[in-house]
Amino acid sequence: MVKLTPAQHHLLNQPFEKRIFLEGPAGSGKTTVGVVRMLQLLHAGVPGDQMLVLVPQRALGIPYLRALASPEAPPGGQVSVLTAGGLARRMVDLFWPLIARQAGFAHPERPPVFLTLETAQYYMAHLVRPLLEEGFFESISIDRNRLYSQILDNLNKAALTGFPIEEISERLSAAWNGESSQRRVFADAQHCAMLFRRYCLEHNLLDFSLQVEVFRNFLHPSFLCRAYLHDSVRHLIADNIEEDTPFAHDILREWLPELDSALLIFDQDAGYRRFLGADPESAIRLAAACHETLLFTNSLVTRPGMETLGEALGNVLLIYSPHHSQPTPPQKNDWKEILNFPPQSLRFYPQMLDWVADEVARLVESGTRPGEIAILAPILSDALRFSLANRLDVRGIPYRSHRPSRSLADEPAARCLLTLARLAHPKWNQPIEPEEVIHALFIAIDGLDLVRARLLGSIVFRKHSRQLSSFTQIKPEMQERITYSVGNRYETLRTWLSDYAAQPEMELDLFFSRLFGEVLSQPGFGFHTDLDAGRVTANLIESAQKFRQAVENAGGMEGTSPGCEYLAMVRDGVIASTYVSSWQPPVEDAVFIAPAYTFLLYNRPVEHQFWLDAGSNAWFERLYQPLTHPYVLSRGWEPGRLWTAAEEYQTNRETLFRLTLGLLRRCREKVHLAFSELSEGGFEQRGMLLRSIYQIQIQETRHG
Amino acid sequence: MAEKRQLRSSQSKILTYRSGWMGISAVPGAGKTYTLSRLAADILLRGEIAPDQEILIVTLVNSAVDNFSARIATFLQEANVLPGMGYTVRTLHGLAHDIVRQRPEAVGLAEDFSIIDESEATRILEEIAAAWMRSNFHLITGYLSPDLSEQKLEDVRRNNLPRLVQNIGLQTIRYAKDQELSPEALRLELDRLPMPLPLAEMGWAIYADYQRALRYRGAVDFDDLIRLALLALKLDPALVKRLRYQWPYILEDEAQDSSRLQEEILRHLAGAEGNWVRVGDPNQAIYETFTTASPDYLINFRRTPGVISRELHESGRSTLSIIRLANHLIEWSNRLPPEDLLSKGLAYPLIRPTSPDDPRPNPPDQPEKITLHSQAFSPAEELQKVAKSIARWLQEPENQGRTVAVLSSNNKRGFDMVDELRRQGVDVVDSLLRSTQATRAAASALSDLLNWLAEPDSPSLLSKAYQAWRTRGDLSKEEKMQIPRVARQLQALRRVEDFLAPQPGSGWPQESLAREDPGLYAELIRFRDLLQRWQSAATLPPDQLTLTLAQDLFTEPSDLAVAHKLSSLIRQSASIHPDWHIKQFSAEVAVIARNQRRFIGFSDEDTRFDPDRYPGKVVVATIHKAKGLEWDRVYLLAANNYDFPSNEYDPYIAEWWYLRDQLNLEAEALAQLKAALSKNEYDFYQEGEASRQDRREYVRERLRLLFVGITRARRELVITWNTGRNGNLTPARAFQELIAFWNKSHG
Repeated sequence: MVKLTPAQHHLLNQPFEKRIFLEGPAGSGKTTVGVVRMLQLLHAGVPGDQMLVLVPQRALGIPYLRALASPEAPPGGQVSVLTAGGLARRMVDLFWPLIARQAGFAHPERPPVFLTLETAQYYMAHLVRPLLEEGFFESISIDRNRLYSQILDNLNKAALTGFPIEEISERLSAAWNGESSQRRVFADAQHCAMLFRRYCLEHNLLDFSLQVEVFRNFLHPSFLCRAYLHDSVRHLIADNIEEDTPFAHDILREWLPELDSALLIFDQDAGYRRFLGADPESAIRLAAACHETLLFTNSLVTRPGMETLGEALGNVLLIYSPHHSQPTPPQKNDWKEILNFPPQSLRFYPQMLDWVADEVARLVESGTRPGEIAILAPILSDALRFSLANRLDVRGIPYRSHRPSRSLADEPAARCLLTLARLAHPKWNQPIEPEEVIHALFIAIDGLDLVRARLLGSIVFRKHSRQLSSFTQIKPEMQERITYSVGNRYETLRTWLSDYAAQPEMELDLFFSRLFGEVLSQPGFGFHTDLDAGRVTANLIESAQKFRQAVENAGGMEGTSPGCEYLAMVRDGVIASTYVSSWQPPVEDAVFIAPAYTFLLYNRPVEHQFWLDAGSNAWFERLYQPLTHPYVLSRGWEPGRLWTAAEEYQTNRETLFRLTLGLLRRCREKVHLAFSELSEGGFEQRGMLLRSIYQIQIQETRHG
Repeated sequence: MAEKRQLRSSQSKILTYRSGWMGISAVPGAGKTYTLSRLAADILLRGEIAPDQEILIVTLVNSAVDNFSARIATFLQEANVLPGMGYTVRTLHGLAHDIVRQRPEAVGLAEDFSIIDESEATRILEEIAAAWMRSNFHLITGYLSPDLSEQKLEDVRRNNLPRLVQNIGLQTIRYAKDQELSPEALRLELDRLPMPLPLAEMGWAIYADYQRALRYRGAVDFDDLIRLALLALKLDPALVKRLRYQWPYILEDEAQDSSRLQEEILRHLAGAEGNWVRVGDPNQAIYETFTTASPDYLINFRRTPGVISRELHESGRSTLSIIRLANHLIEWSNRLPPEDLLSKGLAYPLIRPTSPDDPRPNPPDQPEKITLHSQAFSPAEELQKVAKSIARWLQEPENQGRTVAVLSSNNKRGFDMVDELRRQGVDVVDSLLRSTQATRAAASALSDLLNWLAEPDSPSLLSKAYQAWRTRGDLSKEEKMQIPRVARQLQALRRVEDFLAPQPGSGWPQESLAREDPGLYAELIRFRDLLQRWQSAATLPPDQLTLTLAQDLFTEPSDLAVAHKLSSLIRQSASIHPDWHIKQFSAEVAVIARNQRRFIGFSDEDTRFDPDRYPGKVVVATIHKAKGLEWDRVYLLAANNYDFPSNEYDPYIAEWWYLRDQLNLEAEALAQLKAALSKNEYDFYQEGEASRQDRREYVRERLRLLFVGITRARRELVITWNTGRNGNLTPARAFQELIAFWNKSHG
């Protein structure tokens, strides 16, 4: 049982029928109290199915789910742990027949088709591609898949903020002070958004924005839905409401007076998901709808130096104004103890990675548990993760990493399956390169080395026929070189593929599933003992299945099968490049490698943090998106106001402050600042994070 | 290294600068980098800027960036101040990138926009030019010489015109970007004119396709970067305000090569009330052809009311004899009648030698160390004579510890010189001609490994991969001797698979070899273990594969940094060409290794070339690359009327034999564009005029190039010329004049 502080006890002693707004910095024990409150209610006999835990994203619900799965949780109905979007989807699914016609769907008699990020991108690509040929978006340089996702993002922002989608372009244009041709681009984006929305309504497709809008505009106001929600949810715990959207806050505001009890938890100085629509300002206003606001002030996590450094960074980053007086130096010296720098200036990027790996090894040797170390980067590319992982491997340090999205199409096992799928479906006329076949065979057949894979692949595959020939047709001398045992395995695979091709075509996800189950996972084949390949296969199957269901339920695309279309989309990078893998709560005691924001939302303090590439501007700059804008499309943005470099700079400074403060509040012992003079690309770098630290040092030096 | 030393009075005067705009005219060897670095350090040490501000230093080329940084850092360290902060040194491209990065979306870029390098840009242009040629060949036939036979015409169509069309496209693109015109805007201007402008139309068509290709890749090129940086500043006063705060002082080096856009960007950043110091030597303006770069910007800036004008006219670099030669060129060009194409190609002031008590006085004069060869050589003879002369010079005891360079006006001649020197057994440094040896060696080793992974059944590629891996790092004599033996064993493999993944009874491992030559056997087994690791990495994305191989190949930090940079280049190529496999990536890396593509690496040679590090060797470079550098002895090659033309009869590089009327179509295309953009109704395009005008600008720039070449020498100078491939070239007029002057004054 966790030991609770007096402040936590005070909250838990409040009567159940109260609506409480709990506010405090990270690490002050708010979520702990939220979890205990939930268990308290259950122990008091409140049925689980009358309780809802609302979180902005699934990861933040993990402490609640863990508690519910623990032996301390009393039996009873299942408590729902949901996001506002998840709730909307659930309600739309439930009440579909009631609102489909009213909401403007062309076929209310048919079931709704909920789109994933991938399938929404697919439909968007389908609609926008012809327009690109006509000259849409001519004046901007952007990768096509980002273009599709940003148009979708605009729709989502309109839905979450609560303005009509017809106003997207108007809002963006009014704040624009850049090149005038950009206004045409906004108009193009508007046109595409409207086209997509019409297409969705005609085909019963619901992307995330439409799920939210249908719920907000048609379901939530309806008596039936409200009555249902009233009966099914009597007690609410909403955690991290500062990371949630105005949409969630609006629902909560209306909902609160009707609930028997509520606990809203607000993390001060946070709001890391602004990029995805988080609105801490609208969250804090919910305090007015509660009976009482309670404050937790003391950190249960950090050393005092962390707080001093946080304050000093605030002085440097928040008081900015050109020609302003200089910030005051830190009041105490304790911040120096919590910072660790490389002993000498490191010139090259790989040297910095080596230093990090060495420091981690040193910490582990001196008794720090690997799980108490986090290596945090502003952006974690596959290559960076790979480089770090390699170095930790060499030093025998366990590690784990998490990125919210990973490129499925880059996984060797997935690439193997995709090549075999193209081989099994010659009628789809999908291009196959000999190198792809060689690699597929190398991965698929256990015991096959690269040389024999090349010999085999170059003999049995002919590009023009897109088919594999039999091992028995190969000259005996070559058979011997490749070896008969490989030949047998190859024959098993080839026969399976050719038998499959002779039969009526089956769904692609089923094809993957059967190929995996009947061949690749069997002894003698590459996936037999490879758990990772199994996980990748499962993801690919899920991705293909969702795609198929979305396409089939929407009436399909004319003339092509969903499987063929899926493979083409993977090739174009439209899908499987942003596949969101399911959240797997990390359990092992291993060094955590993650983007800084992911670490914040994972919300688990550690003893040591490494801030990687501290000189990089990526710590400071937001992700720029030419077709959308997280601040201009937010509720707090004054219509007609211009977004200039001053806003950009100020916002970036505030964001960097919030980010660093959030990290410091989740660090118990030490922050290790890793930086090199030259970036990976060879450019000199001194980003705002490093400059701010330097400024603090200089201030102190000058003030003695 | 920049040591703290006494200053000349002209330098001290510059260091009294406190604020405002200042323009400095400097002569070669006047120590402008030293003075400017010292000025930056003084401003910092006086505490004139806040901790969140920086002095911005803008230089012309990457190699100067590190040089500046190192000098300022040294001054700061001498004053016991933390080096590295408080200033930033940027090339114009680097600065433009910094500005655009502030708000990419404001200029229509995605956050992850990529910058294509010259190689990718050329690849795109080649494709577009070829496509244009396929459907529009008839549009260019009117410019071809009427004397071409059918067969010649076919040859020209196939071999010469695609390159010419590509060049016309390139010049149009550069010019349009410099004029801040999009293809759409240029189209409107072309449509406004009633007269046909076929070359401008050709350029426009290529420009439009080129921009479309960039957009498709989500990329910009280097010229876009500069254009967009200025655009960002023009559009957003708040950005300008903030950057003015961030960079309260701007120091600009090599300002004689400033372009219109560079000046405008810096003018925005400095502001009328700001602090802006520009240093340059108009006589060293050698990047002007087909660009808007011009020494006039610096000259006019210095004449602007309110601008503090200063001079650095004393130079302690060269002997009096060398200074006299350089000064004579200035005086001669100013004496020529105005109609002479070379008239006023060089500008006053003359270079002044230092006073005897100067902290860095001129080397003692030795007129006998000046050799101006009037004798005619064939191109091959010239190279042989020079190579022999260098070989002799290097062996003379008095030249121990001294430096020597051969400078040519183009890369091709430089490479020929390198070959000749190597033939004669002279130790050559050619890294200024190409990516440096360290970078090339690293790229080459990676390419060899990738090559084997692309064709793993090839014994010869396997053998090369082994050599690439094994020859890196410090090796004992025995280890070195073993390499060819192992390489031969691998080369002789009949079946690579029997070595990599032996089957029972296949012959490997050879028990007999283990007994007879255990060292060789152990080495082969060790290499095989590595191969097995590499083959399992072959399925990784190509950038990660590169990093994996690099871990096994390199130990030097700079080599590993090159591998990281190569891997990010590969990542970028992979996103542009998703259909590429290891083979293509290997080819890409091989191009860097073979040096068809300059790639800035990380070794000191790459970023900080110091001639004094190569005594006993000869450095071969182009005059362009030698800018800012100096050697004890300098050879200047090919001082003939092709490399340094001077009148309308001299052959001229851009006027191709297959075109009629000595037309320079690149210049004509630009003239057509200028006519289309002119608002003056009396401006019209007249064929041939631009070719003549371009020739005038070119001959003046080549005169300055000769001047730059001469002023690279400290003590000794040798100039030679050759009669060219066809034997019909003559000494350059300026060279003839120098010979006459020298003979007259030295009998």
